[in-house]
Amino acid sequence: MRRWGIILMLLAACVMPSTQAMGAAPQVIVCIQCHAAQPARLSDPVTLWQTSIHAEHGITCNACHGGDPMDAANSMDPARGYRGVPAPTSVPALCGGCHMGVTKHYMNSAHGRALGRGGPTCVTCHGSHDITRASLELISKKNCTTCHTFDKALMIRRAMVKTDGMLKAIEKRITILKSQGIDTDPLEKKLFSLRNRFHAMYHSLDVTLIREESAHIQAELEKTSGAGGAGTGYLVGVIAVGWALLAALLFSMIKKNID
Amino acid sequence: MEFLRNIYNWIDVRLGTHEIITEKRTGYLLPRNVNAWYSLGSVLLVIFCLQIITGMLLMLYYVPDIDKAFDSVSFIMTEIPLGRLVRLFHAVGSSMMLLVLLLHMFSILFMGSYKSPRELHWLTGFFLLLLAMGISLTGYLLPWNQLSFWATTVATDCASSIPFIGENLVELLRGGKQVGLHTLGRFYTLHVGLLPALIAVLIGVHLFLIQRTGVSTPPFGLEDTSNQWKGESFVYEEHPGGIPFFPNFFLQDMISISLYLACFMVFVFFFPNIFIPSTSYVPANPLVTPSHIKPEWYFLANYQTLKLFPSEIIGLTVQAIAMAFLALLPFIDRGEEKHPLKRPLFTFCAVSGILLWIGMTVWGLYS
Ligand code: HEC
Ligand code: HEC
Ligand code: HEC
Ligand code: HEC
Ligand code: HEC
Ligand code: HEM
Repeated sequence: MRRWGIILMLLAACVMPSTQAMGAAPQVIVCIQCHAAQPARLSDPVTLWQTSIHAEHGITCNACHGGDPMDAANSMDPARGYRGVPAPTSVPALCGGCHMGVTKHYMNSAHGRALGRGGPTCVTCHGSHDITRASLELISKKNCTTCHTFDKALMIRRAMVKTDGMLKAIEKRITILKSQGIDTDPLEKKLFSLRNRFHAMYHSLDVTLIREESAHIQAELEKTSGAGGAGTGYLVGVIAVGWALLAALLFSMIKKNID
Repeated sequence: MEFLRNIYNWIDVRLGTHEIITEKRTGYLLPRNVNAWYSLGSVLLVIFCLQIITGMLLMLYYVPDIDKAFDSVSFIMTEIPLGRLVRLFHAVGSSMMLLVLLLHMFSILFMGSYKSPRELHWLTGFFLLLLAMGISLTGYLLPWNQLSFWATTVATDCASSIPFIGENLVELLRGGKQVGLHTLGRFYTLHVGLLPALIAVLIGVHLFLIQRTGVSTPPFGLEDTSNQWKGESFVYEEHPGGIPFFPNFFLQDMISISLYLACFMVFVFFFPNIFIPSTSYVPANPLVTPSHIKPEWYFLANYQTLKLFPSEIIGLTVQAIAMAFLALLPFIDRGEEKHPLKRPLFTFCAVSGILLWIGMTVWGLYS
């Protein structure tokens, strides 16, 4: 089941930006045109959003707030699908429309269960408009000690650090292999799904699950470490050069004998 | 064994092969003071054979079409077993061939071996250098990547500054106004057909000349190091009491070849990116000009010279004069002395010339 959720999320992530971008990117939508000229409370979201990962992928205001981005006069008409500012309790459902795997983990976690009763929503940790690429840096004293102590948070972080490092190392290796003209497509595909599975998992807050899954993912990653042809030429190279040098030595010994 | 011996005998009684081997090989004597530099020619033969073999293997999968060339080279690199190795052998080998050609030439320069009666040896060698540069230039376009496309565009563009015929010459080279499908066709034909054939023929002539005159005496470890040739009549330069070619000098050849192969494979296996930079993994795009286009190292000096002069035609003329001087060197330097230290003016000029060339190359690399 979880696998299907991830696949659906991936599909959404792949399809959404392109369809959205095609509809919206060529012209600035009316929401942004008008809001940029409004007082701070209404215009700040625009400036914050502009450098976000959502803006980069063409996820515009109306993706979260609804409304008609093309018709200035009626853009914020509920009849055109305008939903207004989402209430904190409905935020996970809103984000979950696209980030299904993450949201499913979240809803089953202590945070999800405490939704509406002092638990954090997606925007407590990620922000609502200035959302950037997420990383383990988000698990910090600053973010995680407003409601409870840091020890549990730290446990999760520790459980994830090693796999996170492995993923980063493999990403780096892929860029190097690419620059050597090696076909990295299969490796990248595999890494992509493992990576998504891993980063979504955090939201479960379940240390045992994270440990189990991390071990599983690490095993998968280790299988890829030989792939891509890196290092295969190295040993052969040492042997080949060694043989040539040995031959040179042999010939010069014979020559000494004859001269 | 018996069977093989019978075959050998069958051939021997008809062609006298045994005589060739004993008389021409064991009886073929080299000067007593012959040195390792004399084995570079054999190294060059091996390199050329390796280029032919690896080139033919590449031809099995390479497709000379602008839509398929890049992919076919990627296919060779990633899908064909040992394809990556074969391509690296060929690409790295071409650079190494130029390098060894230059070493061969420099050694002959300093030992005065180009002096009479060996002017023709030098001339054929000089044309072999030109052809090797030509075959490398034409081969460089074939993978059809950004680097090769733009380097070829710039290189062929040079010809346009030649007065009167320039424009037509560029179109002849490119087969059109721009580097494109017809350029690839032309370069491919030159690279795998005409140029290898010409090189093979010229190597044959080069070797024939060496067989006729005999090997020169190096000017080291002797009292009299002047040229002994008087020019009255044809004489084969004999070396009585010298070193037999087989097996003694043959072993020297094998040592040099093995050492060369070791160096060569160090580059192939450990530093291939010196010769195939990562930009060459981007397919050619005529619409996107890369920020800096640099030719291969052996053309860097030419490239820098062109940039140095205010107009291209002056730069080209200067280079043409320098090349002509190099080609005609044996006819210009008629001195008898062969030892480099006993003709200081020549040695000073030669060293300065080589340093100038290296300087221009380095400057071209970092400019
Ligand atoms: C013609 C100008 C204009 C356009 C176009 C416009 N807005 Fe607004 N928007 C406003 C103003 C003014 C307010 C504040 C007054 C209000 O609350 O009605 C506002 C308020 C909002 C709020 C906050 C509501 C709240 O309750 O605090 C949201 C969310 C919002 N707009 C989203 C959108 C979206 C999404 C679009 C495009 C589909 C859009 N707006 C288009 C002028 C505009
Ligand atoms: C990824 C979903 C998302 C996108 C895209 C988005 N918003 Fe919001 N926005 C929210 C959420 C969630 C809230 C409420 C939570 C909060 O207070 O931060 C909100 C709150 C607001 C508010 C109310 C702020 C306040 O302090 O009352 C305004 C105004 C607003 N958004 C405007 C915009 C505009 C304009 C855009 C387009 C540039 C936009 N939003 C894009 C999710 C989004
Ligand atoms: C309309 C679909 C959509 C909605 C709704 C949406 N997002 Fe996104 N989000 C995307 C897309 C597409 C990306 C970029 C995909 C990628 O590269 O991972 C993205 C990226 C992100 C990332 C960075 C992912 C990473 O790889 O580090 C975060 C964090 C994020 N969104 C949080 C949210 C939150 C929080 C909300 C709700 C307030 C939300 N999103 C609502 C589509 C959406
Ligand atoms: C808005 C308040 C709030 C913030 C901010 C917050 N949490 Fe929590 N957290 C809760 C609540 C409420 C619970 C459930 C009650 C409890 O166990 O204390 C909880 C529980 C947890 C648990 C225990 C889960 C379990 O199953 O026992 C972990 C682990 C955790 N949070 C990690 C984090 C991390 C990591 C951060 C920072 C990225 C964070 N929290 C930030 C409110 C918050
Ligand atoms: C308690 C803080 C917290 C809450 C609440 C939270 N996240 Fe996250 N989120 C994180 C952290 C920390 C990461 C980085 C995890 C990692 O690097 O593996 C993350 C990563 C992500 C990612 C990136 C996954 C990837 O593939 O890289 C997305 C998307 C995301 N969160 C969306 C959401 C959504 C949607 C919600 C609400 C349903 C939510 N988050 C709630 C802290 C939180
Ligand atoms: C005589 C010496 C030769 C030299 C110096 C030489 C040089 C080169 C160079 C520099 C390239 C481009 C290298 C690259 O980026 O891959 C190349 C490619 C190629 N050469 Fe040669 N070559 C020689 C002989 C031959 C011969 C004899 C053949 C075939 C009969 C051949 C066939 C090819 C083919 C098919 C390619 C394109 C594939 C590729 O680019 O990898 N070459 N050659």
